[in-house]
Amino acid sequence: MTRISHLLREIARNLYRNPGTAFSSFLSLTLLFLLFDLFWVAAGTSDVFYRDLLSDIRMEVFLNEEVTDSLVPDMEFRVAQVQGVQAIERVTKEQAREELSRLVGTDLLAGYDTTNPLPRSFILSFAPEYLNSSVMESIEEEVAGLEGVSEVYYGHRWLRKAESARAIILRTGMVLGALILLTALVSSANNIRWMTRARAAGFQQMRLLGAGKLFVAFPFLVEGFLMGGISAAVGWALIYFGRQKIAFSQFEIIVPTTNEIVIFCCATALLGVISGYFGVRKLLK
Amino acid sequence: MSSKLVIELDNVYMTSDRGDEVFRDLNLKLEAGRTAVITGPAGSGKSSLAELLVGERFADDGSVAIFGEIIKPGRKRLIKKIRKKIGGIGGIFSLIPSFTVAENITFPLVLTAESKAVRRDRLLKMLTEFSLLKQASEFPHRLTRVENSLVQFARASIANQPLIIIDEPSAGLDRKTYQRIFEYLVKLSLSGRSMVILGSETPPGEIPNTDSYRLEQGTLV
Repeated sequence: MTRISHLLREIARNLYRNPGTAFSSFLSLTLLFLLFDLFWVAAGTSDVFYRDLLSDIRMEVFLNEEVTDSLVPDMEFRVAQVQGVQAIERVTKEQAREELSRLVGTDLLAGYDTTNPLPRSFILSFAPEYLNSSVMESIEEEVAGLEGVSEVYYGHRWLRKAESARAIILRTGMVLGALILLTALVSSANNIRWMTRARAAGFQQMRLLGAGKLFVAFPFLVEGFLMGGISAAVGWALIYFGRQKIAFSQFEIIVPTTNEIVIFCCATALLGVISGYFGVRKLLK
Repeated sequence: MSSKLVIELDNVYMTSDRGDEVFRDLNLKLEAGRTAVITGPAGSGKSSLAELLVGERFADDGSVAIFGEIIKPGRKRLIKKIRKKIGGIGGIFSLIPSFTVAENITFPLVLTAESKAVRRDRLLKMLTEFSLLKQASEFPHRLTRVENSLVQFARASIANQPLIIIDEPSAGLDRKTYQRIFEYLVKLSLSGRSMVILGSETPPGEIPNTDSYRLEQGTLV
C-alpha cells in the first residue's frame, strides 16, 4: 500500500510538475487517435457504400433463338442451380421490348410486330459473398457453358475497377493507420523521455537508496497507459459528438461498435505502456 | 568470511573508465558497530570507494563483500537489497530534487514498505532531532547547504540503516553545525551503527570504536 500510494503520487507529480509536456502529449495523442478514428469511420462507411453498390450487380444470361419456350423453365432450373445464384428473373421477348422502350423513350421495334429480334434472358442476382470478380468470372464461365446460352453479360470491368480502387484505399488506409500509430508511439515516448531526463538526478538517487528499476520506471509506464487510453477515448467522444451535430442525408456514417472502441482504447493504452517503456528504457538499463 | 564483518575489501584492484589505476591491493575490514575514518586528498579515490561500497562501480580484481555478500556485476537484486541497508550522505549521495524534505527523509521507509503511521512517527522524530520542522514541506532547491546536509543525515538514519557512508561530512557546513553533526556521528556510533567516514580532514574529535586510515596511491595505510 505504501509503495502504491508512492507510485500514484509519482504519477501525479509527473503530470503536475510538467503540465506543458503532459498536456502537449495528451493533445498530440488525442489528435493522432482522432485522425485514426476518422480513417476507421471513413473505411467502415465506404465499405458499406461499396457493398451496397456491389449488391446492385446483376448478370444477364441471353438465350439462343433455337431454345423453344417449353425448354426455358428447364434452363431456368439449371441456371438457378449454379452455386452463388441467389435469385433468378426470367425476361421474355415482350418484357425485353418494353424495357428497351422504357430506356430509350420510344418503341424502336415498331414495324417488327411479327419478329421480335430481342433475345429472351435470365437476370441473376448473387449472394454478397459471391460478389467479387474472380468468383463472378467462374460463374460466368459455368453459365456460358450451359446448353442454350448465347451470351452472358455483367459489368466485369466495372467490378474489377471497383475492387482495385477499394484495394488501393485499403492499403493506403493501413499504411496511414500504421504511420499514425507509430507517430503516437514515438511522440508519447519522446515526451516521457523528456520528463525522465528532467528528473534523472532524482532517479539516480532513488537507485542509490535501493529503489529498483521498475519502481522508478513504473509511474511512467502507468502514465503512458493512461495517456494512451484516455486520448483514444476522448478521440471517440469527439467523433460521437460530431456525428450527432452533423447529419448526412446521402449515406449513413458507420461508427465501430462499442466493443470495438473499447478494444481499441485498450490497445492504445497498451501502446502507451510500450511508449512509456521506450521513454524510460535508459532508466531500465 | 565472518558474518560480523559489515565491509570486507580483499585485495581490490580497480581502474577508472579512462583506464587509470584507482585502487591497488585495497584491503579493509569493518566490523559491525565500528567506524572507519578514511582521509585522503582530493582525487585520492574517496568517492570511488563510496561507489564501490554501494555497487555503483565494481572491482576489476579482488573481492568486495558488504554484510557478508559479495558484490559483483550482475547481482542486481542483491545490490538493491544491500543499498536499502546503507544510508548515504554527501558525495554521490544527494537529495531527490522533486521530493519535499519530508518525502526525501521518508523515502528509505517507502522502499521498505513501512506503514504510514511508522513513517509519520519516525519523520517527526527526525525533523525534531535535526531542527527541520519548518522545512518539512520545502523542496531541496530552497534549502541552505547546512539544511541540505541535515536532511541527508536524517534520511540516512530514519530506517536504522546498519551502515552509513559519509563523504566529506564537513562540506558546506559551518564550524558550529559541523560540531553538531559530529556529536550526532558520535551518537550514531554509540548506538551500534557502522560508519565509513570519507574526508579530506579528520573529524574534530574522537568517535568511539573508530579505525582510522589514510588513502594514499590507491591503497589504505
